[in-house]
Amino acid sequence: MSINLEKTFQDALEQVKTWARTNSPWLIHFNSGSCNGCDIEILATLTPRYDLERFGVKLQGSPRHADILICTGPVTRQARERLLRVYEQMPEPKYVVAVGSCAISGGVFQGCYNVIGHIDQVIPVDAYVPGCPPRPEAIIDGVIKLLKSLEAQEQTA
Amino acid sequence: MNAIGMLTNLLFFPAGLFVLVTGLAYEWVDRKLVARFQNRLGPRWFQPLADMVKLLSKEEVIPEGLDVRLFVALPVVALAGALTAALYVPLVGLNPAHSFPGDLIVTLYLLSLLTMCIGLAGANTRDRFSLIGATRTLTQLFSYEAPFLLALLGPAIVVGSWQIREVTAYANQHWLILTQPVGFVIALIGLMGKLELPPFDAPEAETEIVAGALTEYSGRGLALFRLGKGVELVIGLTLVAAFFLGGVANPVAFFIKTLALLLIIAGLQSLFARLRIDQAVGLWWRYGALLALVQLLVLIILRFWGWNGGL
Repeated sequence: MSINLEKTFQDALEQVKTWARTNSPWLIHFNSGSCNGCDIEILATLTPRYDLERFGVKLQGSPRHADILICTGPVTRQARERLLRVYEQMPEPKYVVAVGSCAISGGVFQGCYNVIGHIDQVIPVDAYVPGCPPRPEAIIDGVIKLLKSLEAQEQTA
Repeated sequence: MNAIGMLTNLLFFPAGLFVLVTGLAYEWVDRKLVARFQNRLGPRWFQPLADMVKLLSKEEVIPEGLDVRLFVALPVVALAGALTAALYVPLVGLNPAHSFPGDLIVTLYLLSLLTMCIGLAGANTRDRFSLIGATRTLTQLFSYEAPFLLALLGPAIVVGSWQIREVTAYANQHWLILTQPVGFVIALIGLMGKLELPPFDAPEAETEIVAGALTEYSGRGLALFRLGKGVELVIGLTLVAAFFLGGVANPVAFFIKTLALLLIIAGLQSLFARLRIDQAVGLWWRYGALLALVQLLVLIILRFWGWNGGL
């Protein structure tokens, strides 16, 4: 009986944690070699017109405060170290969203002498948002789908 | 019985749970108002709570090359200082839980403890952004603290007592904003400086220095500092409303007056762009401190001539 009680308590705790996590995603944005097209779209996403604060999304300056790393662009040889360091600095649990064609596959920069490749060759990626550049609505959709998948994971676990 | 009463005071009301929840609620009102001023929908009502639970359930990264004990203890001290200050102010129009002659000074210093802790937390880490943030936090502390103190001393001089309970008992009968408008404005703006709200958010300017002194804090530490700021917002609003806006004699008056002050603060936040740190210091010392001193002098002279402080 006492084991059961503890289990229900743990389950309830997990549910509260997941609720909090999915309702308060704080973002940090990192450009690892993008042409700036996707970055401008991300900035447009954060403007009052799309008002991401209604989902609890906030753009944070410090990786220590952030939950979701939004990556744009292919990974250049020089940016690899920085990308890894920013990712390592984020506290668990952390998620990565790759925004734009280059972040997904390297895009037009594929095979360039200074480019390693796409984001998930360097760090694990949880959600991909295609487009060159993706519209703000697509970026919002990608983040919301990531949050929905977290809820689904919690339910199956 | 007395022990139970004191425990209730510490854990639920006025310090503890009540002031934490009120702090979160007021933070939401502030964010929502700013959002509406910017023509957007703004956060949902449970947003600060979700932020807090999420931060508390996150990993706390302890960086290398710093004093770990200090790093862990500072957020706790900051929140404890803010919560202790809640014991001495007339929250929800009730009498303060504890009172002694001179508690006004103690409360003001307890409120500064949070800023001191943020400054120390920034100076404790080896991160350059934290260091710059800490320098700016402490510079700002030294600039707004004197005018803020002088502004809140105005009502105390009129009443002739350093005890918050006696000052509020007098202020319940008199709208001191009419006789001390300068003090009211300086106290309100000083409160914004204390909470590092725009336009006084140079210490945590995210476009320049990442997140200021709290750059290296994650999870629990950040959550406690944010809670402390929420508590300080409530206490500061209570003090200003109780001293200048005709007192907070009952819960209705308390909520109407503090929320009205919050509306003004939110309006100022969305009206003004961030001041550079030297501009903020100049504003406080050139105008704030000088005006507060002049008003204090006038009050002292008038009292010397036997004026009772009311209209």
